[in-house]
Amino acid sequence: MNEERSQDLLAVDNLRVCFHTRNGTTVAVDDMSFRLQPGQVLGIVGESGSGKSVACHSLLGLIPSPPGKVEAGSARLKGEDLLRMSEKQLRNVRGNRIGMIFQDPMTSLNPYMKVGAQLVEPLRRHRAASAKEARAKAIAALGEVGIKNPEQRIDDYPHQFSGGMRQRVMIAMALMTEPEILIADEPTTALDVTVQAQILQLIKKIQASHGMAVIFITHDLAVAADMADHMLVMEKGVVVEQGPPEQIFKGHQHPYTKKLIDAIPTSSKPPSGAPRKLEQLVQVNHLRTSFSVDRHTQVHAVNDITLDVRRGEILGLVGESGSGKSTLGRSIIRLIESQSGEVLIDGVDLYQLGTNKLKRARRDFQMIFQDPYASLNPRMTVFDTLAEPLLIHGIAKRDTLTEQINQLMDDVGLDRTSARKYPHEFSGGQRQRIAIARALAPRPKLIIADEPVSALDVTIQAQILKLLLKLTEKHDLTMLFISHDLSVVRYIADRVAVMQQGQLVELASTETLFQQPQHPYTQALLSAIPRVEL
Amino acid sequence: MQRITEQTATEPVLEEGSSLTRDAMHRLFKNRLALVSAGFLLLLILVALLTPWIAPYAYQDQNLLLGASSPSAQHWLGTDTLGRDQLTRILYGTRVSLMVGFVATAVALGIGVLWGATAGYLGGRVDNAMMRIVDVLYALPFAIFIILLTVIFGSSMLLLFLAIGAVEWLTMARIVRGQVLTIKRQEYIEAAIAMGLSRWRIIRRHVIPNAVGPIIVYTTLTIPSVILLESFLSFLGLGIQPPQSSWGSLISDGVENMENYPWMLIFPALTLSVTLFALNFLGDGLRDALDPRASKD
Repeated sequence: MNEERSQDLLAVDNLRVCFHTRNGTTVAVDDMSFRLQPGQVLGIVGESGSGKSVACHSLLGLIPSPPGKVEAGSARLKGEDLLRMSEKQLRNVRGNRIGMIFQDPMTSLNPYMKVGAQLVEPLRRHRAASAKEARAKAIAALGEVGIKNPEQRIDDYPHQFSGGMRQRVMIAMALMTEPEILIADEPTTALDVTVQAQILQLIKKIQASHGMAVIFITHDLAVAADMADHMLVMEKGVVVEQGPPEQIFKGHQHPYTKKLIDAIPTSSKPPSGAPRKLEQLVQVNHLRTSFSVDRHTQVHAVNDITLDVRRGEILGLVGESGSGKSTLGRSIIRLIESQSGEVLIDGVDLYQLGTNKLKRARRDFQMIFQDPYASLNPRMTVFDTLAEPLLIHGIAKRDTLTEQINQLMDDVGLDRTSARKYPHEFSGGQRQRIAIARALAPRPKLIIADEPVSALDVTIQAQILKLLLKLTEKHDLTMLFISHDLSVVRYIADRVAVMQQGQLVELASTETLFQQPQHPYTQALLSAIPRVEL
Repeated sequence: MQRITEQTATEPVLEEGSSLTRDAMHRLFKNRLALVSAGFLLLLILVALLTPWIAPYAYQDQNLLLGASSPSAQHWLGTDTLGRDQLTRILYGTRVSLMVGFVATAVALGIGVLWGATAGYLGGRVDNAMMRIVDVLYALPFAIFIILLTVIFGSSMLLLFLAIGAVEWLTMARIVRGQVLTIKRQEYIEAAIAMGLSRWRIIRRHVIPNAVGPIIVYTTLTIPSVILLESFLSFLGLGIQPPQSSWGSLISDGVENMENYPWMLIFPALTLSVTLFALNFLGDGLRDALDPRASKD
C-alpha cells in the first residue's frame, strides 16, 4: 500500500483524525488510505458521522482545530505532503490546486458581493491576474457552467440566482484556477431531483473536458454509482470497502455495504392483505392558499386543488421545492389558513369550525414533521411530550397515563426505560420515532407526514418507512405522505399526487404513475431519479 | 455522542435522563470563577439576613466624641464623621442594596417576561402596540421620572423598588420578545398547535421554558445594574434616607470625605465592586452553561 506510484495525483495513507472534546475523544477518521489518479472520479459514500467530509476537509486543513486534530498519516499531492504544510502553503493549495464545492449553495456565497467579484477572487489571489483578464475568464466560466447571458449575470448578487444556478456559480468559481482536484461535498443534496440531474451532468462534462480529478462525497449510493470510477464506503470513520462501482454493487462482501444497498427503496409497496376500501376520509375541494409577497404580488402556493384521500390508504404527495406540497398539507389541517375552498374530513368541513371546535377536532388529524431536531421541544422529556396530547384530549387519566405511554413507546420501537430522557439524548432516527409516537398518541384518523424521512440517513430512513407502514396497518391510519423523493413515495404510497407550481398535475395509483406517467412533468421527474442498476 | 449507562440485568429501571438543567449545572460547576462568585453571593445573602444579630453595633448609634476614626480593634472598618461604626453600616447597607437588587429585578422580570412573551407570541397589531408603549417609556428621562415620583409620594423603599422595576422591565420585555419570535417559528410550536393546545398552554409549556436561558442570564445582569441605579439615586439623595444606609449612600458620604477619611469611601466601594464582579461572573457562567450549543450532541 505504501509504495508510491508515480502517476498518483493524491496519495493518502493511514489518515487519522480525532476530535478532542470535553466528553472524550472521538476518532472521526481512522487509518484511511486511498489513491487518486489524474482524471479519476473518486466517490466517497457514507452516512452522517461516517467521517467522509471530515477526511476531505482535513486534507486542506479545514477542520475546526481545536477540537479537531490530524493525528497520523500523510496526504501527498504529487509528492508534497498536505498534512505537513504550513497555513501559508496550504492557502496556495486551496482554491488553486484543489477546488471545493459545498452542499448548500444558499449559504456558501457571500450575499453582499456580486458573483463576479467572488468569482475573480481566487484567480486574483493565486494567479495575480489583471482585473480585466479575470473578468473575461469569469464570464467564460459562467458560460461553461450553463448560465445564460454571463456578461450580464456576472454583475448580479447571489440572491438573484436560484439554488441550482448558485451551485453552477460555485462550480464556475472552483473552475477559475483550473484546479487539479475538485472536491465536491454533497453538491446536490440540497437540490431538487431534476436540478440534481442537471448538476451531475455538468460536473461530469466539466470533469471530462478539463481532465480534472474529482472527489465526490455523497450519502446517496445511486448518485455515487452514477458518478464515480472508484468508490470508498465509509462507516464510523473507517473505510470498509473500496473498488469500482460494479464490484461494490455486485460483489459486495462487507455487511455494511450490503445494508446500505438494501436500504435503498427500490421496490414498490407490498400489496396489503386487507381488501382496499374506496370510502373517502378526506375530500379537498377547490382549495386555494396564497401569500402576499408585497402589496402587488401574490404567490398562489395552493392553486385550486381538488383531491381525496381514501380511508386506510397512504397518499403520496410529490413535487419539487416551491411546488406548494407542504402548504397543501398544512392547509388541509388548517395550520395555514386557506382563502377559499373546503376540506371535508369525515364529512365535516374544517373551514366551518370555530376556534374551540377546531381545537377539539385536531385530535383526529396529526402531523409528523421533517426535522426531528426542530419538532420536539428540547425542554420536555419524552414522557411529557407524549403525555401532553393524551391529557389534553382526555384520552388518558393520571393512573393509566404511564401504561399508555409505555404502549406508544413499544409501538414505535423505543425503549420504555428512556421515557425520562430529553430529546437531545436521542439520535435523529429515535427522535423521529418520538415524533411519530406523539402523532399517534391522540389516536388520529389522519396523519400528515411532511418529508418525515428526508433528514435521515438511508439505513434509518428504511427503518422509519417500515415502521410507518406497520403502524398504518396496525392502527388503520390514513396518511398523506409528502416527499420530494420519488423512490420513497413509490415504496410507501398506494396512490400518488404530483404537484407543480401550486397545481395538481397528476393523481394516479402508484403502479400506474410509475409505469405510465401521463403528464410531461411527471415524466421529467421520473427520468431524473438516479438509479442503481442491479 | 453515546451515553454510557449502567445496565441492570434484572429489571428495566427508568433511566434518569440528564436534563438540560442538570447539564447546565454540571458545566457551571466546572467554571471555577462562577462557582466562587455564587459562593460569595450566597455568603452575602446570609450575612444580610443575619445582620441584626451579627452587626457589632446598631446602625444609628452615634459616638460624636469619636468622630471619624480610622480602622481599629473596636471599629474594624473605622467610623464615619458622626462616629457610627462603618462595618455595621455596610452590613445594613447590604440588606438594603441586595433587597433593591432582588425585588426590583423580580418586578422587572415579572412584567417584562409576560409583556414580551405576549407581544412576541401574538404578533401583528398587538405586538406593534405593545412594543410602541415600551418605546415611549424608554424615551422618558429616567431621573426626572423618579424625581417626580419622590416629590409626589415622598421617598420610600417601596417606591424605589417599583420605580426601578418599572424602568428595568423594558429591556427584559424586548429580550424576551426577540426570543419568542425565534421560538415561535420552531416546528415544535407548530406541532403543539396541530395537537390542539390552547395558546396560553403553548406560551406556558413550550415558549417560556425555551426562552429561560437568556432570561436567567439577563436577570443576573439586571441585578447589578439595579444596585448601581439605587446607588446613583441615593448618591443624589433621592433613595435611602439617613440614618438608614445603603451602599450608594455610604459611597456618597465617602466621596464627600474622601480626602480626609479615605476608609469611608474605600470599604463600601470595595464591597459594591466585588459584588458586581461576582454577579457578572455568575451571569457569564450561566450564559455559557445554558448555551444550547454546548449541549452534549
